Amino acid sequence: MSRRSGRPLVQVEDLQKYFWENDSILDRLFGDDPVPVRAVDGVSFDIHEGETLGLVGESGCGKSTTGETLLRLQEPTDGHVTFDGHEVYDLGGDELTAFRREAQVVFQDPFSSLDPRMTIGETIRQPLEVHDIGTDDERRERVRDLVERVGLSPDQLDRYPHEFSGGQRQRIGIARALALEPEFIVLDEPTSALDVSVQAQVLNLLDDLQDEFNLTYLLISHDLSVIRHVCDRVAVMYLGEIVEIGLVDELFENPDHPYTQALLESVPRASTDERDRDRETLAGDVPSPRDPPSGCRFRTRCPMVIPPEDLELEQETYRELMSLRERIERRDISLESVGDDGQFDADDGSVPDEDVPAFIAAVKERLLDVPLPPRHDAIVEEALAELAAENWEAAAERLRTEYESVCERESPDLGEQAHPVACHLHGTASERTAEPDSWT
Amino acid sequence: MTEDILRVHDLSTRYFTQDGQVNAVSNLDLRIERGEVFGIVGESGSGKSVTARSIMDLIEPPGEITGGEIKYRNGEFAETVADEHPNAVNGEFVNLLELPPNVRQSLRGTSFSMIFQDPESSFNPTLTVGEQLAEAVEVQRRASARPRSTRARTQSEEYSLGNFLLSTVLPSQKYITEESRERAIELLELVGIPDPVERADEYPHEYSGGMLQRAMIAQALAGEPDVLVADEPTTALDVTIQAQVLDLLDELQEETGMTILLITHNLGVIARMCDRVGVMYAGEIVERGSLEDVFDEQVHPYTQGLLGSVPDLEGATRRLQPIPGNVPSLLDHEMDDRCYFADRCPKAMEDCLEHPPEFEVPGSDDHEVRCVLAEMEYAESRAVPDDHFSETSRTAADKHADPDRTEDDVQPQRAEQPVDDSGGDRL
Repeated sequence: MSRRSGRPLVQVEDLQKYFWENDSILDRLFGDDPVPVRAVDGVSFDIHEGETLGLVGESGCGKSTTGETLLRLQEPTDGHVTFDGHEVYDLGGDELTAFRREAQVVFQDPFSSLDPRMTIGETIRQPLEVHDIGTDDERRERVRDLVERVGLSPDQLDRYPHEFSGGQRQRIGIARALALEPEFIVLDEPTSALDVSVQAQVLNLLDDLQDEFNLTYLLISHDLSVIRHVCDRVAVMYLGEIVEIGLVDELFENPDHPYTQALLESVPRASTDERDRDRETLAGDVPSPRDPPSGCRFRTRCPMVIPPEDLELEQETYRELMSLRERIERRDISLESVGDDGQFDADDGSVPDEDVPAFIAAVKERLLDVPLPPRHDAIVEEALAELAAENWEAAAERLRTEYESVCERESPDLGEQAHPVACHLHGTASERTAEPDSWT
Repeated sequence: MTEDILRVHDLSTRYFTQDGQVNAVSNLDLRIERGEVFGIVGESGSGKSVTARSIMDLIEPPGEITGGEIKYRNGEFAETVADEHPNAVNGEFVNLLELPPNVRQSLRGTSFSMIFQDPESSFNPTLTVGEQLAEAVEVQRRASARPRSTRARTQSEEYSLGNFLLSTVLPSQKYITEESRERAIELLELVGIPDPVERADEYPHEYSGGMLQRAMIAQALAGEPDVLVADEPTTALDVTIQAQVLDLLDELQEETGMTILLITHNLGVIARMCDRVGVMYAGEIVERGSLEDVFDEQVHPYTQGLLGSVPDLEGATRRLQPIPGNVPSLLDHEMDDRCYFADRCPKAMEDCLEHPPEFEVPGSDDHEVRCVLAEMEYAESRAVPDDHFSETSRTAADKHADPDRTEDDVQPQRAEQPVDDSGGDRL
């Protein structure tokens, strides 16, 4: 793909970025351990010269942090990024300055990313001054060219950002990023603050500029239709990890990862068939990156979580049981409020023996929507009986021995195939488990 | 055919700012049937939120409803107000703009409810979600005990001054009765919040965005409203959560049969939810009709432009066809008496220099459009010369015009020419 050599322009390898909570001196004195927030947890991808790689995911999945860290706007916790053959995190002095010239960024919010006290002429000129490029006249000429190229008029150079609309400000941000003739631009949600008609103008502009200056883009967005429209390849992120990466058409037409499928299902289409479209909505919220689930991070919401081999259960029922287990493991059921007011109150917190059957029935009714086959019903009742005695560990253990999924034991790898997917249903991992078709 | 629940006729809402009069909504007609989902779609600054707020009577100075009628159909309500305000009543319809503020206020919550865009900033962070819901329930209970006024009762023991002062020191749950708390929990359960009993005692920051939006919907449902006004209900949410919230609204609407006025800029959400749609531009509805009329048979070039701007999730990659230029200024002295879209319109003709009335589009009962193209074909010979607008109307369009987001609509002159080049070349 690359014209100069086979090497990708940007190579990201196992990049990690943790933010630390409880990390002040006071916390240390009191002996609190710092808690890592795993914003980006081991992502790897390549970006080839002249292509657009899309990074898509929900808010909080770490896509913006990835963009900032690979530009070294944030120091990484671990991992490597090579840009044009140079290790970005080892650069210093002139080399770092040269990297800063080659790699630029356009930010999401055009209202806060321009200095309100600088005219737009000054704003676009500033990179040239910082990097000491050209004489005054050359700079002036360059700024005029840039402003015209992004679709504004040179007469407006003496105006201040507040005099412009959102779309025009985003154009100014793009002109500023182009000032140093970079090779690579990170576009961090460049159109999410704009109206659709203006968004379309900006996307077309970015497209034209890429052709004209042979730019390489990393486009970060939560909007799948924008990604589809602009990108050559796409990486889907969930909770700090890349779950699927592939060519844009392949990924949108045949999404392999259940999360990608759910994401695509969720987007409402602007067409009259939308109301009759079958869609499956993903339940629940994204878990906290402070304590991400073991194994596959999507397993807590995944409708296709893999049951143990010999288990004969409907997929839907298994999903319910896994959600119940999840809550017991997180101790997210308040036992006091089970049943009617004070029905099961006891002094030491556990439920008196004679109330246990009623307690179990009450919990079951509240937490499980589907009826269970007898064998599984018995197992769940045993576990809930432990719960009645406040033995959370034992209850969780009982369910774990019975229902542990490969998805929680092993973290799936992206794999080496042409269209990598981090899911046990695909690639090498699926050979070790049941045939995927046997239960879907 | 179901009956109309709301008829808005000739509504105008103006903002009187330092820069002059802003015509946020001009001569707007709207008809909403009982039990339907009516969608208003438009870009920021097109007046869609102001329309919703006018219906809710939430317009604040410097804004003012300067004319028109908002007629609400409710036989019972018409009877109760008939004696005191005979002017307002016409059969089963009551013109809300003829009523004094306290009567209109009594309708809020019981007849009209609203959910807002940003759930994180719409809740009070210092009270638990349960309390805030119970508060809404309490207001409705008091309102239904004495219709037509919701002024807080201080006579009863529960709401005495002493009790109020005590509640500032003690945990404020005291101020809310047990019944309303239970109702709040019921409401939380209705909108699908797991473990409503515990969740009721949590503060807004402990909720995720999607759950807070659910809680806000619960709050709006406290008074079992006839009409629910949802102003960008899913704009702040992720797509998977947006899908959950839209499913919820759909279910609730089926269960309760309420009418929803849905305001959004997202055409996908409109397609997902609405029976009928109005497209707003510069304070007017420029095209209206059933979902099929507007999405498949649209006449107005603005509607076409809006649909052409949306990148397609399924189709092959093609170049987007954006609308050149920006949303126009709504300042009164800058608005010429012409079609407000003419300066951005690829099919502007000499006939567009007069403000068009609403034309009925043949082929459908309810399809109306504010564009001369409904009556005539586009003719090259009658086209307006390209430089027509850049010389006349654009020169002064340099000040902000949007009452809600002041910075959003600034438009320096002559910006449009280069924009046309980059975007409109394949139109």
